[in-house]
Amino acid sequence: MEMAKKPGAGGSGEESAAWSIVGYLISGLVIWGAIGYGLDSWWHTHFALPVGLILGAGASLYLIWLRYGRE
Amino acid sequence: MHFQARGGFVAPGTEDFFLPTKLGFTSFESKAIYLAFFSVLLIGLFFYFSSRKAKVMPSKLQFAGESVYAFVRRDLGEDLIGHEFLRFVPFLFTLFTFVLVNNIFGIIPLIQFPTMSHVSFPYVLAIFSFVVFHYIGIRRQGLGKYLKGICFMPGVPVALYILLTPIELATYFVVRPVTLALRLFANMFAGHLLLLVFILGGDYLLHGGIVAKIASPFSFTFAIVMTFFELLVQVLQAYIFTLLTALYIAGALADEH
Repeated sequence: MEMAKKPGAGGSGEESAAWSIVGYLISGLVIWGAIGYGLDSWWHTHFALPVGLILGAGASLYLIWLRYGRE
Repeated sequence: MHFQARGGFVAPGTEDFFLPTKLGFTSFESKAIYLAFFSVLLIGLFFYFSSRKAKVMPSKLQFAGESVYAFVRRDLGEDLIGHEFLRFVPFLFTLFTFVLVNNIFGIIPLIQFPTMSHVSFPYVLAIFSFVVFHYIGIRRQGLGKYLKGICFMPGVPVALYILLTPIELATYFVVRPVTLALRLFANMFAGHLLLLVFILGGDYLLHGGIVAKIASPFSFTFAIVMTFFELLVQVLQAYIFTLLTALYIAGALADEH
């Protein structure tokens, strides 16, 4: 059995970042979109869903920057 | 089946994924279930025989078995998880070989059905992955500290947690397991459907007029090309499923996020 020893990268490779970023983008849009949609149907308005979507997308980009952009 | 429809070509759809079964035991019986059991038998036998008479100078079979094991151990275990990887190799190895064999069933002649195109199989595998990586995180850091690590990113103004914490919670507890399962399912489902379209389409054209008969070989040729493309997708999806599980485990083991 070959044993090319490499020190463990601890899951901080670029590959891993790419997959996690997609996850964050989805959940940012979905969660804040859903909150916006809920508020819209509660208040009988039409503005909260787009606001929620934009807020969610922005927040998840910020989160991605915090997690992967800073180092 | 399909070319006999009087109204012209019937495009394959979801009903093609629910094939009639012979025995009729229960409502759970399906081709996918049989294939899942068959894959376990196949994997078990393969690794039993490949490791039974292990020698320093490996036979071809031993070499094949050890290559798969070494790949999972090194590329998916050690490189991603770090020094504690050895504990997780059995889990990752089982996951990888199970998904791989069941995916490749999609293009094996006479079997030709990817088990993972029935969505419950990827869901169950994703639940395993979900339970394992959260359990490890809780064991390692304690429930409170683990949840705090997920919810509250250090170095952020406190007011922003209102915005960020729901996203973090959704990512860890909903989006990760669901995307893990759906990615595998959708790839296998779409791939099988694609092959059905070209093969059934070629068959339909073959029973048509002269122009259709001429067009038919092109459809079959494309079906063969897509079969090789499917092999690539099937191997890749098995790899990605295991890779992401290993990454989530690595994330749960890391003290700070």
